[in-house]
Amino acid sequence: MNFWTDPIKLAFDGLMGLFSSWGMAADAAAVVINLLGIVGLISAVMVLDILLVWVERKVVARFQDRLGPNRVGPWGILQPFPDIIKLILKEDITPAGADKVAFNLAPILSLGSVLFLWAVVPLAATIYGVDLNVGLLYLVAAGAVGTLSIIMAGWSSNNKYALVGAYRMVANMISYEIPMVVALLIPTMLAGTMSIKGISDFQLEHGLFFFLTPLGALLFLISAIAELGRSPFDLNEGESEIVAGFHIEYSGMKFGLFYAGELLHAFTFGAFVGVLFFGGYAFPLPWGATNAFVAVFNVLFKGMVFYWVIMWVKYTVPRIRIDHMLAFNWKFLVPVSFTLLMVTAIFHSLLKDTGFWPYTLGMFLVNLIFGWLLLEMLRSRGRAEREQAEAPSTAAQAAHH
Amino acid sequence: MTTPVVEAINLAEKFPGKVTADARPGYSGWIISKENLVEVATFIRDEMGYDALTNLCAIDYLEQKMMEVTYQVFKTTGGPVLTFKAQAERVDPIEIPSVVSVWPGAELQEREAYDLYGIRFVGHPDLRRILMWEGFDGYPMRRDWKEAFYEEDAKPLKSRWPEGKHKLAETRATFGDNVAFKPGFDPDKWIPSDPEELLYATLKNYKSEVKDGIKTDHVVVNMGPQHPSTHGVFRAVAVLDGEIVVSIKPVMGYLHRNHEKIGERNTWLQNIPYTDRLDYFNSMYNAWSYALAVEKMMGITVPERAEYIRVIMGELSRIQNHLILFGMLWNDLGSYFTPALYAFEERELILDIFEAVSGSRMMCNYYRFGGVVRDIDEASMKKIKELVFDRLPGKIEEIDRLLSENEIFVSRMKGVGYLSPEDSIAYSVTGPNLRAAGVPYDIRRADPYGIYDRFEFDIPVRHNSDLLDRYHLRMDEIHQSLRILQQALKQITEGPVLAGKPQYTHRVPVGEAYGRVEAPKGELGYYVVSNGKGNPYRYHIRTPSFVNITSMEKMCVGTKIADFVAILGMVDIVLGELDR
Repeated sequence: MNFWTDPIKLAFDGLMGLFSSWGMAADAAAVVINLLGIVGLISAVMVLDILLVWVERKVVARFQDRLGPNRVGPWGILQPFPDIIKLILKEDITPAGADKVAFNLAPILSLGSVLFLWAVVPLAATIYGVDLNVGLLYLVAAGAVGTLSIIMAGWSSNNKYALVGAYRMVANMISYEIPMVVALLIPTMLAGTMSIKGISDFQLEHGLFFFLTPLGALLFLISAIAELGRSPFDLNEGESEIVAGFHIEYSGMKFGLFYAGELLHAFTFGAFVGVLFFGGYAFPLPWGATNAFVAVFNVLFKGMVFYWVIMWVKYTVPRIRIDHMLAFNWKFLVPVSFTLLMVTAIFHSLLKDTGFWPYTLGMFLVNLIFGWLLLEMLRSRGRAEREQAEAPSTAAQAAHH
Repeated sequence: MTTPVVEAINLAEKFPGKVTADARPGYSGWIISKENLVEVATFIRDEMGYDALTNLCAIDYLEQKMMEVTYQVFKTTGGPVLTFKAQAERVDPIEIPSVVSVWPGAELQEREAYDLYGIRFVGHPDLRRILMWEGFDGYPMRRDWKEAFYEEDAKPLKSRWPEGKHKLAETRATFGDNVAFKPGFDPDKWIPSDPEELLYATLKNYKSEVKDGIKTDHVVVNMGPQHPSTHGVFRAVAVLDGEIVVSIKPVMGYLHRNHEKIGERNTWLQNIPYTDRLDYFNSMYNAWSYALAVEKMMGITVPERAEYIRVIMGELSRIQNHLILFGMLWNDLGSYFTPALYAFEERELILDIFEAVSGSRMMCNYYRFGGVVRDIDEASMKKIKELVFDRLPGKIEEIDRLLSENEIFVSRMKGVGYLSPEDSIAYSVTGPNLRAAGVPYDIRRADPYGIYDRFEFDIPVRHNSDLLDRYHLRMDEIHQSLRILQQALKQITEGPVLAGKPQYTHRVPVGEAYGRVEAPKGELGYYVVSNGKGNPYRYHIRTPSFVNITSMEKMCVGTKIADFVAILGMVDIVLGELDR
């Protein structure tokens, strides 16, 4: 027990000693210290969020052959601050026909739902908000609050574009939560626990889940992007069709909260991919298991990597159409996720007692074969569909000649 | 050269008493009595094979107390246009039968003539104002209509140069100098009597119904005028059933500045910089058509080198136009500017050349009657050669691979926005969209202008008439443009670039002319009439954006609202020339 392994405990003890010396009861002091801890965590996350604004703008600029912000501070790193000042100075508008309570609550809930998520992120072996034994369930539930905030915003804005955006979000949410939950069932099953910290710790001993279920990780990433409403699934926003979708009527810092919420949400899901499938806080630097600071670095680093992947997708592909999106989910992702769950379950129980290497390699191979079969099926299906589509036209041409 | 020639069928003999040849000096074509217009028009379409109407415009002959409507029609199998006219006495109400039943593509153009000249087209399905606003009084293109701050009929205005000093008329005249409104009308207090009725009068398909015990309503959504994907201030009123478009109507005129009236006040030469503002992406191509029409009347031959320079600039312009289209299309599909900026990189290099030769990147003002304004210097020529021979072929290939191999892109484009070839011709669609429907009609081959008959190039054709084919066709066109450019750059010779001396005033003989070119967006035509003075008597522009938008509703009904955006993007409108 020292500063490097458990700085939180050290701080807790120090503060407890301080409060006790002031004559505070131990219970009351614990409550105050926990509250301080919550405020500290939220502040740290919000500071990270400010950094994300800069990261996003800079990375996008590089994708697009541009320089990006480069005027305020070195490499433009202070750019978010003028942005925030601008947003705060803007007029705060609530439209005349809007449902005021829902309209003003929505941006707060949007950012709040992301902050809820950070309660269960295990930043290190000793640094975490709470170790819920239903952590994954909590993750899905808190994500749904974010969706709710978008529906509230769309519904209360008294705007047709916003309403269309909200409709689309409902369709999106109902659809993509299913493959997401099923994808989360796979690490649950492998680790035998729903606690996120439990899954993280389990990977310390049994290797990264990515090697046991690469397809599960991919499935989670895809459904997370859909859940986030990021391109190519940004139908609720649909800038070129419904202008800005659910947040069209928001101005100033209310819009800023949605924006910050979206960035942080993407980063948070990136961090969850890292925690659930890429070994939590002890990968890529193994000292993370004992050193809390290295552990925090590990988690944030992996979050940043997967956030970068999500950005990469966003700024490369066009938006998918709503019927294609629903077809992709219900006709492809849902059946695939359930089949994958069953296949993983069967081979997990067959191979788990064979030792580390046979088990890991076997599971990886099973995933590879499963993915290959899937692609082959898709190809033959696509070929059949194309032939079917082309058949009548050739018949018509023959008749024509 | 391309003046309408005497047809093998002499209409005057075929319809004695109904059709006469236009015998006015400098004029050509046929004058059809308005009672028999539809009958003769049907004959022209069905028996003579002029299946597409390209231009329809009105002319106000104030002195002769006559309103005339001119029609230009062409055969999609090639050949020059046929001109015919219908005349009516200039006493309100002026009535001329509508030809929408013969050529549906006349719909918007007849509305425009009604809006600006007050000619009632009997039998038109939806005769409303189109460019002017609903409360507007009067018909602004009539010769006796005076605009606000009116001073004189023709420029240069004497008041601008009192004792040689520059002064703007607007700084003197107070607002409302000679602005006329309907009696009892105050623009500051006016609200439409029934706004819903006025805005959505045409949306007759709107209804609510009870389905499975639930009352469902259609939603009326205004796409525009402030909308990121309408490429300006275009508005489309869409009735949606969930996400599906039930009906959609274009509403335009937000950028209307009565370009044609300004053109009649200007001197002949002053109009050239104004043409740059029509399709502001292709200012190099716009003036070509105007110069062609005026040169036809003046009988000027363009020097050899100038012809080559015109082709080089025109084809470079076509390439950058299609590049912008791809970029903006991807924006409309929701990919956040990445492909757009890749396409813009190549476009910037082309604009560098425009800047070097003309002094401006977008408003080039480069063509003149009888040539171009200045020669291309050696350094720019070297730049063009590097671009055309070395850089662009590879880069275009790269962009094509990046775009057309994307799965989401293909799924968004394939089979969407179908318009049959028959409908394409009937709705007067021209340009890439017509060729993507399997009709190999390109004015560069069908009715050659300039020196296009010297080059070896193909007219690309695609047959599915969906968005994906329209995309591929434009990509093919870029490759053909590069072929033309490579030949032109090898063949170009030294010599003068302007016939005669540069001059400010031109004497244009009495008469009419219709100049048409294959602009990147479709047929761009200028119908000009001269009465021998220093200004055009009539200056009409047939713009591809305006006519191509006629078929939009046909393509959109039944698709998703997200498809509407892509379809509109592929119609390739630009508001500068849509609203004029």
